[in-house]
Amino acid sequence: MAGPLIPGGAVAPALARLGALLLKRAALLAALLALVFVTVELLPGDAASATAERGEGAADLARRRALLGLDRPLAERFRHWMTGLPAGNLGTSAGGEPVTSLLSGPFPNTLLLGGLALLLTAVLSLALGCRAALRPGRALDRTVSGTATAVLALPEFVVAVALVLVLSLWTGWLPATTATGADGSPASWRMLVLPVLALTVPQTGWNIRIVRAALADAARAPHVETAVLDGLSPHRVLLRHVLPGALPAIATGLATSTGMLLGGAVVVETVFNCPGAGSVLASAVTDRDGPVVAGVTALAGAVITVVLLLADLVRDLMTGGRR
Amino acid sequence: MDLSRRQLLWTGGGLGAATLLTSCGGGDGEPSASPAPGDGGPRAGGTLRVGALGRAGAVTRDPHGTQTNESDYLVISLVHDTLTVPGRKRNTEPRLARSWESSDDLRTWRFGLAEGARFHDGRPVTAADVVFSLRRLRGTPSGASRLPGIRARNITADGLRTVVIVSDRPNAELPLLTRLTTFVVPEGTGDKAIATAPGTGPFRLDWFRGGNARLVRNDDWYGGTVHLDAIEVRIFTSPQAMAGALLSGQIDLASNAGAVAARTAGTREDVRVVRRPDDMAMPIVMRAADGPFADRRVREALRLAVDREAMVKQVLSGYGTVANDILGTGDPAYARDLPQRPRDLERAGKLLEEAEFDTSRTYRLSTTEDIAGLAESATLFATQVREAGVRVEVVKEESAAFWDRTWLKGDLYTTYWGTNDSVVFLAGRTMVSGSTTNEAGWRDAAFDTAYEKAVGTADAARRRQALHELQRIEHDRSGYLLWGMADGIDLATPAVHGLPELPGYGRVQLERAWLAR
Repeated sequence: MAGPLIPGGAVAPALARLGALLLKRAALLAALLALVFVTVELLPGDAASATAERGEGAADLARRRALLGLDRPLAERFRHWMTGLPAGNLGTSAGGEPVTSLLSGPFPNTLLLGGLALLLTAVLSLALGCRAALRPGRALDRTVSGTATAVLALPEFVVAVALVLVLSLWTGWLPATTATGADGSPASWRMLVLPVLALTVPQTGWNIRIVRAALADAARAPHVETAVLDGLSPHRVLLRHVLPGALPAIATGLATSTGMLLGGAVVVETVFNCPGAGSVLASAVTDRDGPVVAGVTALAGAVITVVLLLADLVRDLMTGGRR
Repeated sequence: MDLSRRQLLWTGGGLGAATLLTSCGGGDGEPSASPAPGDGGPRAGGTLRVGALGRAGAVTRDPHGTQTNESDYLVISLVHDTLTVPGRKRNTEPRLARSWESSDDLRTWRFGLAEGARFHDGRPVTAADVVFSLRRLRGTPSGASRLPGIRARNITADGLRTVVIVSDRPNAELPLLTRLTTFVVPEGTGDKAIATAPGTGPFRLDWFRGGNARLVRNDDWYGGTVHLDAIEVRIFTSPQAMAGALLSGQIDLASNAGAVAARTAGTREDVRVVRRPDDMAMPIVMRAADGPFADRRVREALRLAVDREAMVKQVLSGYGTVANDILGTGDPAYARDLPQRPRDLERAGKLLEEAEFDTSRTYRLSTTEDIAGLAESATLFATQVREAGVRVEVVKEESAAFWDRTWLKGDLYTTYWGTNDSVVFLAGRTMVSGSTTNEAGWRDAAFDTAYEKAVGTADAARRRQALHELQRIEHDRSGYLLWGMADGIDLATPAVHGLPELPGYGRVQLERAWLAR
């Protein structure tokens, strides 16, 4: 499958490299999950006391703890949870729901939200970054770069509240919150517009800066100078000679944005009441609900791993495997 | 039986809702008055879209589990009936149990089931179903606190229509315990099938997904006519988002939206503010067992130092009432004749002096942001008692840390109770010496005696007397400072009628709601 991606053959070494990368990332993810278990354990209180009712005595609490499996040592709980992972079993929440059923609706919603935001971020930051790079130092460049710096510092929360205010409550153009249908996904595409925008704005700011800087770096390469001296048009120089050199850095920038998008989703989903994994995660931390926190982490970690892997592949493709 | 220990972090971070709502207020008219019912009685039909608070990760479907989500509790209580429900004139009204009577010793209680009660699949409800459900409830870790003094084997069926409950001790208030969580499912329902078990309630479950649900009318409900065709329940993480959804027409009713949303949305003509008094108590607990507040006079001084009107006005935005240090203000038997404790800084100072209270020290008042207004109440209280010479520093604790370390142990902390229509229930929970949740560590022999009399006396007049004595002692010297009661606040569009009026869990009584459109 990786064959056509790598110019000049050499499929086997490429596959081996891919395998090694995958293994490394999987090990990282496992370590992360162990860290999640330890962190939840270190927080004051536990899932039993979080779901207990006032008036429950020590014996009731102990029973609740046993029901949730919290009476077993942490290492054993972690091992037990990890062994279920390959079979897609993410354990049971403190409220008694299977974690997979808690996440089966929300996680695809978050993926859709994050995916759309990532796509829009990529398109916008490439388009604006390239426009700005065409005429470095001119008014457009200064405006784009300045605005980008300003918006990358804006928290998603502020952007989200401003968007609701203007586009929903003042003008009534778009719904203020997300309602879901019987299938658990947003009832209308219009409900996705504001959350996607709220996620996109800060990330676009960040990525424009990266695109702009990567292009400036790539423009200093000798072959670019040659192309300019050959009298090629600025567009052609940019697209054919500068952009390919800048792509690895841009891809890595976008890949790191994935993590920030998923992090931002926690906030944005709360403001727009989107049924997503971010809101599940937030409430699970409050409840010290280890299996749920780990479940969200595992899924999000898998997605980020895949995206980072793709970014690595882009870099390999562009540099022909040389580092 | 009532609040889950953790009542969510819905403390409106303020910013969102306040700025949003004010900036789009439709003019500065008076807050919309109570409903204008318009022409004639209820209309049939329509789908009511209700927003309720909840967190996606805490969703639970088990009627006998811990429902930390208001949205889950709303769905469950519309699908399943409890034996009894909260009421206004009497705090316990019939539902699936049509009637009840006790033996002379107040230990054996017989509940007769309502005529014509059927599960949604058509099967008639029998005493065996109720016994199964009550025993299942009793078997959960919270069973002992929900049905105190009742053992599973002492819940039995007498024929098809009568359920017999024998209590370990005399309990005149036993029917009160069957109000909020005694949801009935068919006998033999397994844990795997519990989420989809048929109920007997006014609505049938159409679908449930991630905390959102659609319920359709049960045409055969024994409890009377249901007007709505359907109810759609939407889960909201924050009151801000819920208020936004109401304002943009996505929902018709925002259940328990809170004072911040009401204050700002109330100025709009297209929003009705429904106030349900005596909803939430947010008392300050002063440790009576030991520590700096063990001296009765010190506690009295603090009770005299607080400015109750200012607390209600500022902490609750005026959506509440002044209270008199007695828990259970919604009880028909609440002692309204006891004199309202005024603010008296002079006497407070004198009492502190008599008690040789160390005013050079700074005392910590622990609080959380579990519910809206709680942390604010602590801050304002600290400012007010400063005028009496008591230095208080407010320490905001993370919720889980608070319940783990401070609750039941701290010298001075804020707490909250969401079921306030029974003086004797709260007395048994929080003030009787033997209670495991005696928040202030208060022990008072006379109070215990009055309590025993109140729950163990069959004669109505003598019981009333005991209840009054209990409240007099509580008012006089308990470990609580109850400055006020917050209203429960729902926001609705003008088309919605027949909304719940009762505080606390009464907010889920939507079976009489109808839409004028």
